[in-house]
Amino acid sequence: MGAKTGRAISGAQPLQGLKLRQHVWRHTGERLLIYFLLVLVALLALLPLMWAFAASFTPNAKVFEHAFPFSLRALFPVEFTLEAYGAIFARGFGDALKNSFWLAGVTVVLGGTINALAGFAFARFEFRGKRFLFLTVILLPFLVPVDLTAIPRFILVNTLDWRNTWQALIVPGLGNSLAIFLFRQFFEEIPQDLIDAARVDGASWLQLFFNVVLPLSRPVLITAALFLFLQQWDAYFWPLLVAPRPELRLVQVAISTAVEEHRTRWNEQLAGSMLAAIVPILLLLPFQRYYIQAVTSSGLKD
Amino acid sequence: MTGRERLIPYAFLLPALALIVIFNLFPTVATLIESLHGNSLVRGGRVFVGLGNFNRVLNDPIFWKSMQVTGLFSVLVNPIQVALALGLALLANSRVRGISVFRSIYLLPVAVSINVTTVVWGLMLNSEGGLINGMLSLVGIERQPFLIAPTHALWSIIILATWKGVPLWTLFFLAGLQGIPQTVIEAARIDGAGRMQVFRYVTLPLLRGVLLFVLVADTVANFLLFAPVLLLTKGGPQLSTNLVMYETYRRGFVYGDLGVSSAMLSLMLLLVFAVIGVQFTLLRRRT
Repeated sequence: MGAKTGRAISGAQPLQGLKLRQHVWRHTGERLLIYFLLVLVALLALLPLMWAFAASFTPNAKVFEHAFPFSLRALFPVEFTLEAYGAIFARGFGDALKNSFWLAGVTVVLGGTINALAGFAFARFEFRGKRFLFLTVILLPFLVPVDLTAIPRFILVNTLDWRNTWQALIVPGLGNSLAIFLFRQFFEEIPQDLIDAARVDGASWLQLFFNVVLPLSRPVLITAALFLFLQQWDAYFWPLLVAPRPELRLVQVAISTAVEEHRTRWNEQLAGSMLAAIVPILLLLPFQRYYIQAVTSSGLKD
Repeated sequence: MTGRERLIPYAFLLPALALIVIFNLFPTVATLIESLHGNSLVRGGRVFVGLGNFNRVLNDPIFWKSMQVTGLFSVLVNPIQVALALGLALLANSRVRGISVFRSIYLLPVAVSINVTTVVWGLMLNSEGGLINGMLSLVGIERQPFLIAPTHALWSIIILATWKGVPLWTLFFLAGLQGIPQTVIEAARIDGAGRMQVFRYVTLPLLRGVLLFVLVADTVANFLLFAPVLLLTKGGPQLSTNLVMYETYRRGFVYGDLGVSSAMLSLMLLLVFAVIGVQFTLLRRRT
């Protein structure tokens, strides 16, 4: 509880002398305890990443040197070297990064557009079957985890002859219930006057959507883009099934493959992991408000 | 004009909805159908085998063992994660200077993928010279066989899943806490309620919906946990980490028995629906 509450209470019942001193002390003690816990949890969150980061710049033979027995030097590169990064890039990690950026980028643009269109239809039109479509095509798939239905999707992709193609990675991830839901929620708030005005000016619905609605929708566009980007950046199970070809290798698959194939090149495994981690971290920290909105609205959904 | 006008919403819906129907809705139905089919040894194609796959699955000791492991895992990991997430949300909701810095730090495990978490924690839990054993040695605890002993391996998975999972669920509780009007809490305090009483009788009841959601979503998410098992333990040692999700992968994609794998996935789908059904019923009862 913050200072505000404390002041409100002390204002209601004036504290004096000993009582006041006790109150202040309890408050300080409480605050110290809160900071102690905050720092403790922060260390728990940070420690694995700090060690991994340091170890990725350490010669492989020294990765565990200060980990066991533990000393604080484990959190800093012992003999700074870029050998691990050099090795993984020599083996094509750069291509995996490029592939993941490309996949995530295409998904953001195409998926963002079609989900926004669908969200707009649900938000601003009345039409037959609206409720039915919303329940079966938006809510139901949202509840079914995609990993549980991977086999028929895998067979379908094989039947289409898409195995080991970009389509197999891109197309199934475009239509997204949560993104549609986010867009619908946002578009419902756009004032009717704006839409009417554009309609009176003779704009078609498509023009209205792209020239009036989208420019007003920066927050939801960022939220949806972030969500779609991270979904593809983190993709692992599906790419593992449909795109084993090395030319299509994605980041998460690359770091996992490194664990399987180079079990004892620890610093290289960690170097790949750090590169895979830094991208979402750099995206999430500045846009955390938007991301948290995307995540938590999945729970507030009726 | 009005005829064309009436088609416009459908045109807006078409691309996204068609893709969702083809790549999400159809596979859901098809999983259930596929579970009724098997590989034909005679003709080499797929043939209808009725409930044969389910029969095989339900008489398969390895499947039951994996259900047992998944049950144990769920009973342990979900309460741990939900309790820690609620606690962390209360902590992160403190109004102290610098709180936003702490909140950003707590977001880091959310940003990191489960694969990265697995690689990093897999090495930290190394039984020879991992960081965790290194820290334990400082307080005189001998090396623990984290990933190689049947008694430890599931706990190792729980630990890394918790590091990654708790900050995510904290976000929901934090959003819930921030939705509680400060006046409600102040009113309770002025009425003489202590901190614990406020939590028990004001905060917790108001968080009921969020709590229920997090419990269900966390249960489902942990149900699907796959990468740590694949990368670290391959279900072992002695099947002690052979979670159902990994078993379906092993059967379907390592041994190529898509029918049995689909039957297992169908059972999991039904379980997920049951869990969600319970959630909806509980939520409805409240309103």
